[in-house]
Amino acid sequence: MMLKVTLRNLAAHKLRLVLTAVSVILGVAFVAGTLIFTDTMNRQFDEVFGGIGKNVAVYVRAKPVVEGGEELGEAARPVPARLLERLRRIEGVKDPVGNVAGYAAVVGKDGKAVGGNGPPQLGVNWVDGGDYELAAGRAPRGPDEVVIDADTADKAGLRIGDRVQVVINGPPQRPRLVGLVDTGHLMGATLVAWDTPTAQRLLLKPGQFSDITMGSSGPSERELRDRVAAVLPAGYEALTGTQMREEFKSDVDQLMSFFRTFLLVFALISIFVGAFIIFNTFSMLVAQRTRELALLRAIGASRRQITRAVIGEAVAVGVVGGTLGLAAGAGLAVLLENVVGIDGAGGLVFTATPVIWAYAVGIGVTVVSAYFPARRAAKVPPVAAMRDEVALPQRSLRVRIGAGTVLTAGGATLMALGLTGVKIGGNVMTPVGVGALLVFLGVAMLAPVISGPVVTVLGAAYPRVFGAVGRMAQRNALRNPRRTAATAAALMIGLALVTTVNVLGSSTRASLSQAIDAQLGADYIVQPQGQGVIDATAIKAISAVPGVRQAMPIYDGNALINGKNSWFAAMDESALGSAVRMEVESGSTRLGSAGMMVDTRVAAANGWQVGSKVPVRFADGRSETLTIVGIYAVNEMVGPRVIAADVYLEHALKPSPFAVAVNTAATDAATLAALEQALKDYPTLQVQDQSGFKEAMSKEVDGLIGFLTALLTMSIIIAAVGVVNTLALSVIERTREIGLLRAVGTSRRQLRRMIRLESVVIALFGALLGIGIGVVFGWAIQRALSEEGLNVLSVPAGTLVVYLVVAAVIGVLAALWPAWRAGRMDVLKAIATE
Amino acid sequence: MTHTAPTTVEGLSEPGAGDLAARAQQITKVYGSGDARVVALDEVTLGIPRGRFTAIMGPSGSGKSTLMHCMAGLDSVDSGRVFIGDVELNRLNDKRLTRLRRDRVGFIFQAFNLVPTLTALENITLPMDIAGRKPDRQWLERVIDTVGLRSRLGHRPSQLSGGQQQRVACARALASRPEIIFADEPTGNLDSRSGAEVLGFLRESVREMGQTIVMVTHDPGAAAYADEVIFLSDGRIVDTMPDPTAEKVLERMKGFELPGAAAR
Repeated sequence: MMLKVTLRNLAAHKLRLVLTAVSVILGVAFVAGTLIFTDTMNRQFDEVFGGIGKNVAVYVRAKPVVEGGEELGEAARPVPARLLERLRRIEGVKDPVGNVAGYAAVVGKDGKAVGGNGPPQLGVNWVDGGDYELAAGRAPRGPDEVVIDADTADKAGLRIGDRVQVVINGPPQRPRLVGLVDTGHLMGATLVAWDTPTAQRLLLKPGQFSDITMGSSGPSERELRDRVAAVLPAGYEALTGTQMREEFKSDVDQLMSFFRTFLLVFALISIFVGAFIIFNTFSMLVAQRTRELALLRAIGASRRQITRAVIGEAVAVGVVGGTLGLAAGAGLAVLLENVVGIDGAGGLVFTATPVIWAYAVGIGVTVVSAYFPARRAAKVPPVAAMRDEVALPQRSLRVRIGAGTVLTAGGATLMALGLTGVKIGGNVMTPVGVGALLVFLGVAMLAPVISGPVVTVLGAAYPRVFGAVGRMAQRNALRNPRRTAATAAALMIGLALVTTVNVLGSSTRASLSQAIDAQLGADYIVQPQGQGVIDATAIKAISAVPGVRQAMPIYDGNALINGKNSWFAAMDESALGSAVRMEVESGSTRLGSAGMMVDTRVAAANGWQVGSKVPVRFADGRSETLTIVGIYAVNEMVGPRVIAADVYLEHALKPSPFAVAVNTAATDAATLAALEQALKDYPTLQVQDQSGFKEAMSKEVDGLIGFLTALLTMSIIIAAVGVVNTLALSVIERTREIGLLRAVGTSRRQLRRMIRLESVVIALFGALLGIGIGVVFGWAIQRALSEEGLNVLSVPAGTLVVYLVVAAVIGVLAALWPAWRAGRMDVLKAIATE
Repeated sequence: MTHTAPTTVEGLSEPGAGDLAARAQQITKVYGSGDARVVALDEVTLGIPRGRFTAIMGPSGSGKSTLMHCMAGLDSVDSGRVFIGDVELNRLNDKRLTRLRRDRVGFIFQAFNLVPTLTALENITLPMDIAGRKPDRQWLERVIDTVGLRSRLGHRPSQLSGGQQQRVACARALASRPEIIFADEPTGNLDSRSGAEVLGFLRESVREMGQTIVMVTHDPGAAAYADEVIFLSDGRIVDTMPDPTAEKVLERMKGFELPGAAAR
């Protein structure tokens, strides 16, 4: 029977059902979309890279000494070519192949390198019968021929027979394109292949391979691996093909799982916001149906039955939301594919996971959010059916103040612990995230208490500007503080996070700018775009520009310093003080040929002083003992460790300057133009003066802020739906009042304005709360990271004002439909409504 | 018994009958269609004289509320013409109709007359506030004194008794000095003492301020406060009674309520 009541109720209020479901749909869509998208990406990775090394039984390489820098080929030493001949003689080894891999970027007709925004730009040696098949033309022969992948040729506008401009870690090349390779789609990676001797010479070193792979003529992978391992010199290792493929796959999997978690965090935020909306909607529905519920109670329905009826409605909303959300999620996945720039040729992948999660999240969130309103519904006394004016028993706000304060304080404490480095479950993000969640809940509970004064102040100008309509709008917003607060709280969450991101972004920019001003001595910085490095010929070209006094290459790399894998910068003593400025706390900047400098934190952590001897094992496997010559204050430009360039060069397979610092006689437009002219053969290299460098850094930060804001937009959209919901239900609730207003001469326009103004004040309240919390969060995180270089707090007041305006606009937009409905309301019916 | 009252003669159909605040010419209103077809008003012609208190009476379903709604511009008619002063309502769009209600008509409903978020005073001045007009201070003071609510002006409706709420509604209707006030069962929700207060107050406003009031009621006692009663049955005007008393009205009601009941 109660089921029938539930179903009838739903059928009678389809619109209400849809409105409630929208917030569920959006949240579920985000979750399902993320899962479907990452599943699809995973399969595409498998398809594209799963075939690579399919026939490899054993894989031989130098034992990696350090982590990092693999793409530059510096992490591992090469394998000498003569090893190939020795392996060929081992029984069971079939067709051993020496592979060469390095950096090579194809320059398009527009003068810009193709790709380079993440996926690798690969240069390899052509191997007949290898991983790739020719789609057109022929294999490369000799030093002047290459093949490239068809996709890249397309993007670059190249055809067989054309000269291709290729940027490598060396002098620029212009070989002839003789063939195209079919790679399927490499998800944005580009491929250039030379014949083996040319590839060795350009990408590696003559007579060397990056690694050697071989098939088996009979023995198992393990057996063959053991045979191969037996003949390998020290410092080299043999892996089975399976191990190699798994290692490769686990790299990809790790990346994908990080990506998935990252997106799911944002999906979770959306769902959290959605829960507020559902809670609020069900609270309002229960309040509006008080009489009906009381009647049911009066004729004998038990409390449990009432609760179950409401929960039943929630389950139905959850099912609808889950289903539509799943469908919308598939759409979102397609959209994401397009945004990330992967053509979804393979189609979407549907596993059971997104389906299960869509329904679990949809139903779970709805039921949990509707639980409290459902319990309240059961408390409606049967006698309420007979009363005219019914108010649900409301717990006093005092309980809320208590609970809200405890939650807020607890959340803040957790966040503080997390920010000072306390880990829960091995992760500092857990206490920070859970803490933030609790703060949001706590503030949402406190919001009804603060909504009174805040909304009064916010709407204070309304009566003066908009007369009676303004006065009613302001009072309507104050009418039900809990409702106003819950609606605003949904908006608060999104805006709090956006504000946090913006405060951190702005602080990062300010900190960087300060660091550049204080620590960057060079007049110009030359840097490669993408993954490239700077070739010696480019440095020569820079030095030759008139007016250039110094062109100092700055290198970086990874090494085992005192046994720990560490990143370091390497440069000449002369660059210290002219290219970068540092505050030397003790010792000097005289790196000499075997010196190292560290910042105060590294020194303190290791207990080093000037004169300490530090063992360093480089990527080539050899070790040196470096002497600490100086200790400097934390420096953003050089990082925590600097070693002498000479030491680095001695151990680097391919020296890879990531920047060249240039000092000139004058810093003017002419000098900049001359530098750019000198580098016109190096399309991946970019010259920046100090302000340009700053700008580029700012742009990078802006890009990140934009990306995170876009992800948070979903939660703001859901909150806007919540405002629509609240207003629409309020309009229904106030039908008679609206009828009266119309009867005594309020025009439709005035009525619409009244609802719009109410909406705006609610939105602004939410925005103010959010921005306030966001600034506090941002400040707290900045304090926690001030040691890591985030030493300037900058609150982007202008941007925050823009967000306030955006919130007001959201208020206006959210009111469009409810206001339209209110305006269309039939005056007579409105008056007659019981 | 005359079924054609002086106020409903055909001669009134010419426009420009200056002594009428509102009039209806052969208005018909039909609800539903087919089997569910109900004729609420059947070619009703009626004039409301200025400065008088007119009551419209009739049993439930007689069409009295529909008549009031149509004459007040809250509802549209299917045929016939309705005038307030010289303005024909049928020709007005929603915007102009709203403005007419705001500026020239006052309303008192049976219940829910007041905006709950506004104070008594704010409710009284609401139509003028909406219009963006300043209320006539002197007049407003007089109205407030007449309804006797000076001490409660700052209260919200929820803090007022039912009688006080209706008095605030009356004050609102009077405050903007409309050409005509329509009252729909204004005492329907009140106890007899509060009801008498409100009715007495309405009569005062007609006598002393020259206000025109049309009141729909089914209570003979309430109708007795009017200058004239118009009886409505099955969508037609069946009688009028000048200078009514409760007894006379009750007697008359009994007279046509029986055949109406027999018809069912």
